[in-house]
Amino acid sequence: MPYREKIAWMSLAGLVVCYVPYFALTYRSPLLDRPLPNLELMALFAAAAGGNALWVLVGRLILRTTTPPEERGPGDERDRAVDRRAVAIAYNVLIGCALWFGGVLPFLATGWHIVNAMVAAVVVAEFVRYALTVRGYRRGLA
Amino acid sequence: MTRGRIVNQIRTLRFLAGEMSQAELGQAIGVTRQTIAAIEAGKYSPSLEAAFRIAQVFGKPLDEVFRWEPEG
Repeated sequence: MPYREKIAWMSLAGLVVCYVPYFALTYRSPLLDRPLPNLELMALFAAAAGGNALWVLVGRLILRTTTPPEERGPGDERDRAVDRRAVAIAYNVLIGCALWFGGVLPFLATGWHIVNAMVAAVVVAEFVRYALTVRGYRRGLA
Repeated sequence: MTRGRIVNQIRTLRFLAGEMSQAELGQAIGVTRQTIAAIEAGKYSPSLEAAFRIAQVFGKPLDEVFRWEPEG
């Protein structure tokens, strides 16, 4: 398995492990409706984001030490093509979500609901990026 | 527009070149072993430059290494 595909799998797992519990917890509890400054929600978000950063850091360290140096060198043209396509589509997902949440959500929700939706947009775009990276390596770019 | 796919003879040419490994070919043209494997399997179409480099390694013209086949 290419080094960058391993990184994409690891990053995907990190997003699921850290952000699915965060969004499940925030949308199932009355946390989003509390008045500003909503320190509990901020602490929860900090835990999710910090946990994800730690996951990625440790994951990259493990992959770096377990992958032969010749396989983790600078990316070649296929790596760049896979990344370019994944980033391009993820960017469109992010822009689409931002337009939807920024243009429509202010009429339907308030405060942290909108902020959380924007955080979700970033997480979804990241998920799409890594998922498409994996797909690019496994199924090809055709 | 007619749809098609690019097929190649890299596996055969590697065999004829003394069972050259994917890693050796990759090193010769500046890509990873996995990229050569993906090209052979038809999962990735190389850039024009990489295609020319591969053909040069085997001392063959480009159209003896890569061929475009229309679908259907």
